[in-house]
Amino acid sequence: MMAKNIGYMCTGMQCEMGRATKVAMRLINPDLSRVDYTFKDLDRESNKFANVLKELGVHKQDKVFVFLPKQVEVFFAFLGALKYEAIAGVLFSNFGKEAVFDRLLDSGAKILVTKQSFYDRISEILPNLPALEKIILTDVETNQDEKVLSYAALTSKASNDFMVQDVDPETPSVLHYTSGSTGRPKGVLHIHGGIAHQIDTMDEAFQVEEDDIYWCTADQAWVTGVSYGITGPWAKGITQVHFTGKFDAVDWFEILKREEVTIWYSAPTALRMLIQDEARIIGKYDLPKLKRVYSVGEPLNPEILFWVRKVMHKEIYDTWFQTETGGVMICNRPGLEIKPGSMGKPLSGIEAITAGEKDEILGPEQIGSLRVRRGWSSMFRTYLNMEDVYREKFHGDYYDTGDLAKVDSDGYFWFLGRNDDVINTSGHLVGPFEVESVLLAMDEIVDVAVIGAPDPMLWEKIVAFVKLKEGLTWSKSLEVKCRIAVSRQVSPVAVPSEFVVIDKIPKNRSGKIMRRVLKAQYLGKDVGDISTMED
Amino acid sequence: MAVIDDLTTVFEEVFDQKNLTVTNETTSNDIDGWDSMSHVTMLMAVEDHFGIEFKPYEIANLVNVGALVSLIEKKLAEKG
Repeated sequence: MMAKNIGYMCTGMQCEMGRATKVAMRLINPDLSRVDYTFKDLDRESNKFANVLKELGVHKQDKVFVFLPKQVEVFFAFLGALKYEAIAGVLFSNFGKEAVFDRLLDSGAKILVTKQSFYDRISEILPNLPALEKIILTDVETNQDEKVLSYAALTSKASNDFMVQDVDPETPSVLHYTSGSTGRPKGVLHIHGGIAHQIDTMDEAFQVEEDDIYWCTADQAWVTGVSYGITGPWAKGITQVHFTGKFDAVDWFEILKREEVTIWYSAPTALRMLIQDEARIIGKYDLPKLKRVYSVGEPLNPEILFWVRKVMHKEIYDTWFQTETGGVMICNRPGLEIKPGSMGKPLSGIEAITAGEKDEILGPEQIGSLRVRRGWSSMFRTYLNMEDVYREKFHGDYYDTGDLAKVDSDGYFWFLGRNDDVINTSGHLVGPFEVESVLLAMDEIVDVAVIGAPDPMLWEKIVAFVKLKEGLTWSKSLEVKCRIAVSRQVSPVAVPSEFVVIDKIPKNRSGKIMRRVLKAQYLGKDVGDISTMED
Repeated sequence: MAVIDDLTTVFEEVFDQKNLTVTNETTSNDIDGWDSMSHVTMLMAVEDHFGIEFKPYEIANLVNVGALVSLIEKKLAEKG
């Protein structure tokens, strides 16, 4: 059976359902001025981009990436690529050149939509990306040469109309990259049929209604920013607010109030930053239109939940999902009593369990691997170029999330941490290997290991243990050099908050870094079994 | 060299951008990549470049580059 194309469901279908003149996106600029785009606008502009891809000779299933800060072309190009049945991806605008290179190389991206300053930033990696055929710049008026083209010039000549075909639901749609414990980031491939689960969750978890004004603060480079900042809400015909400015407590509350946001989806780190700045907002903003707040990305501490209740006079619902799941799996929601600190219960049709080391299903209060039974529509279909790693993620019929959790006797799930070395810092997943690779390439450093450690603001902070070249001593200049290197090569979010100089990085006899030993030492805990550690 | 010229060099290094235009009115909204994460690295780089140290309360409410320039000039004057 064929399915509707996600790009069409978010645009043309909404027009056909009578929402052509309804505001789809209210784009708020950093100065808080705003521009509205209707569903008709979204449909036309994404059609134009789909026609641009056709004109450029792009084939269905070629990879098209957007590398931009939050701006309107992100949405137009993304939806246009989906309509064309290309595989669409968004790269985090703060990625350094190494991070961009890894993703474009692994995906074999054919088209990159970016802007002049970003193009300048990554220009040195481009000769090593043979598959990348065209670069489209959003802030130049004319084509620069045969390879570097102008978004404005291309779209000005493109037709407003594009016939979107129904698709096999298994047709690949979106490619996200996510960090792992080892190796380079993995390309998580989703399908057009996955939109069904996102729509279901818009109904059951977010309980959206026609007149809702919905604001998801996530960047479009992450799964939340796509599933719940582009596709889910628009496939439901909901008006979304998008803010192109940086975090500022007053600006955010001004937007919540002025735009009469009814459903707000944000993250614990952002909420903690609001709490830190509460003197500027408490008592100054009534938010009578705001119905509910939702949270994602990190566990929602009870302190935040109580703060939202006390200061905003609203309920806040934690949601749990991953890049791989494509949509919310477990959450709190209206109609379900909240247990502060718990991430709630699985949504309809989602069977989640905790499992022990022998894959046995654990009972209440037992800590184990959080697993979800395969079969939900937005489940990822592979790790691009890593089918073996994909298969390893499944234990029988269950996808192993890599999270540790327990279930209480009432069926509520409680997140307890990761069972691998991936670091969740302010809602961003960072692989230790990515950071270690950059630091190890520095002349001053002969060995390095990176761990995540608890942090009251970031959930986890990144701590780098470095062994310096003989005769060198640590200095502020060297720390600045290390920080800039990681920031430029990977991302500012991957920059260690702390550097610890040590004489030797603990490794096992196979040469694998024993991060748990470093972490225990750092936290002043028992290091446990070290019988496999090299001499 | 004026402080703002030195600062521009530091910004170009930290934010990995060439030919940045930085004025007293510039804010984080004007420079790609200047967010709460890179802000810490930028301030450390400024301290290191100018040989000064900021106290937390001094950098809590810097509204724009002009405020940072004034702070740097004050610190340099104190240093003598």
